[in-house]
Amino acid sequence: MSVSTSPRTAPARKPAAAVPPPKPRQARRREALAGILFILPTLVIFGLFKFLPILGAGAMSMTEYSLNGDFEFLGADNYTRLAADPNFWQSLRVTFLYVVIFVPFIIAVSLAGAVLLDKLVRFTGAFRALLFIPYLSSFVMAGIIWTWIFSTDGPLNAALGGLGLGPVPFTSGPQLMVLVSLAVVSVWKGFGYSMLIFLAGLKAQPAEVHEAARIDGAGAWKSFWYVTLPLLKPVLFFVLVIETIVGFQVFDTIYVMTGGGPARASHSLIYFLFDEGFKFFDFGYASAIGVVLFVIVLILSLIQQRFFEGKDSK
Amino acid sequence: MTVIQVPRLRRGSNRPGNEKRRQRTLVLVLAVISLFTVAPLIAVAVLALSPEDAPTLPYALPPSLTLDNIIRIFNVGEFPLWLWNSFLYSAVSVVVVLLTASMAAYALARKRFPGRNALLWAIIATMMVPVQATLIPTFILISKMGGVNTLWGLILPTLANAQAIFLIRQFVRDMPEELFDAARIDGAGEWRTFWQVVLPLIRPVLATLAIFVFLWHWNDLLWPLVVGQSDAARTLTVGLATLNTETASTSNVMAATLVSFIPCLVIFAVLQKHIVASITHSGVKG
Repeated sequence: MSVSTSPRTAPARKPAAAVPPPKPRQARRREALAGILFILPTLVIFGLFKFLPILGAGAMSMTEYSLNGDFEFLGADNYTRLAADPNFWQSLRVTFLYVVIFVPFIIAVSLAGAVLLDKLVRFTGAFRALLFIPYLSSFVMAGIIWTWIFSTDGPLNAALGGLGLGPVPFTSGPQLMVLVSLAVVSVWKGFGYSMLIFLAGLKAQPAEVHEAARIDGAGAWKSFWYVTLPLLKPVLFFVLVIETIVGFQVFDTIYVMTGGGPARASHSLIYFLFDEGFKFFDFGYASAIGVVLFVIVLILSLIQQRFFEGKDSK
Repeated sequence: MTVIQVPRLRRGSNRPGNEKRRQRTLVLVLAVISLFTVAPLIAVAVLALSPEDAPTLPYALPPSLTLDNIIRIFNVGEFPLWLWNSFLYSAVSVVVVLLTASMAAYALARKRFPGRNALLWAIIATMMVPVQATLIPTFILISKMGGVNTLWGLILPTLANAQAIFLIRQFVRDMPEELFDAARIDGAGEWRTFWQVVLPLIRPVLATLAIFVFLWHWNDLLWPLVVGQSDAARTLTVGLATLNTETASTSNVMAATLVSFIPCLVIFAVLQKHIVASITHSGVKG
């Protein structure tokens, strides 16, 4: 679960009781005690498993930390090591390339799905369900299915073979082919979510605007390009940021389908972190990779927030 | 929420024949797209139900369908254990997250206590930290506590769910103060007020969250992969991923995959309206 700021948050309501009457000190103390008791379980859970690991990630990234708990303070050494590590740059390149392929792809597919569903008059529920179903599966399941589809004895290569082509090494060929194949899997699994967000955005558009465009003689394509799309901009931006964050976190499909290969062609940032941490047990170094990921996601989240705060204040 | 379909005026809609043709084309296009989304799932089902040595997809349709593969994976290997682990990982998390998050949301929305705003801010801020960034320290912590390869070690760190608190808090904050005054006048204590006034009223948001927390845990890979390395705490996703990389037969892998998908499908069939409504209204990300 990641992002929460929706482009269509409920309208802000007035606080239920504007000015509560002053309470006697004893009642105030009892209220505070009740509040603390109610929040206590969450405080313990968050303290141990959120706040502590977040601080720990920063601290560990500045140490050499071994499995038995011994550590040595290194300062910024892990970061200078990262900067000089070709594998790190390779994983960043892979991740950026993947994001550049995946994000426009998933936005195009989910937007197309939403526009078609929006224009549909009958069977809307049925088609919405059929298009959404893959979203329920896990990335592992999606990876297993598409490993079969892409395999040498899979349906795709069977069809290509019928045409006298192939076999095409979808998940073991050149880097671009492998990353596109991985993106196809993630789009298949994930586009239902963004499609529903787009659909909600389309349903919220006033019919009058489209009618006016029609009266002015705009065709379907012009009307979409000059009316629908500009009105959809906030939603589009929201989806763009969410899917970019999802793209940067790509791991499961790679783990199932390529193992980071061939020859590091799909060795993403998280895969690099996973390898350094749990293959080489280089925990300090892996923590530094985690901090880099955090910085990337933080920048994206801040852009998103800045954008929506700007919208709301108008 | 019901959406009332108002037929909008479109280009050419004054000619019903045109509109009818357009709708037919639309249905056709969507049917083709649906094929792209659903065909892989149908292929899994066919492969899972094909007799083990019979010719099957992609070159032929199986001569008959059988439950043999599914019965086999339940009797050979650790599959039932993985299923049970996944179920516990998801179910326990749903119950604990919903309970603790509701309590926290109630306190944060309705009670004044020192440090409340700072705490709220800190909880919301954790949403910006991707789980992968804290993977290593969380693993070290759990291993120090002796939780590696145990179910509690698997479950505990995933119970901190800021999004659940954030969502429920919005609902509790918007409840009228009179409700709580009435409860107080009736002599209800704090716990009873929470249990009998707050919880029943936030049931819709709890239902939505239950679906998403369940799906998120059921489909999670990275954390279970790291912390559940032996069968005692191995979940379905981790087991499936290992089956796939090992030389397990296609029919076994697909049978296991099919079984793993059934709970998600059932949840969707029963609660489709909830899922659709919550994504479109609050942007909950499962």
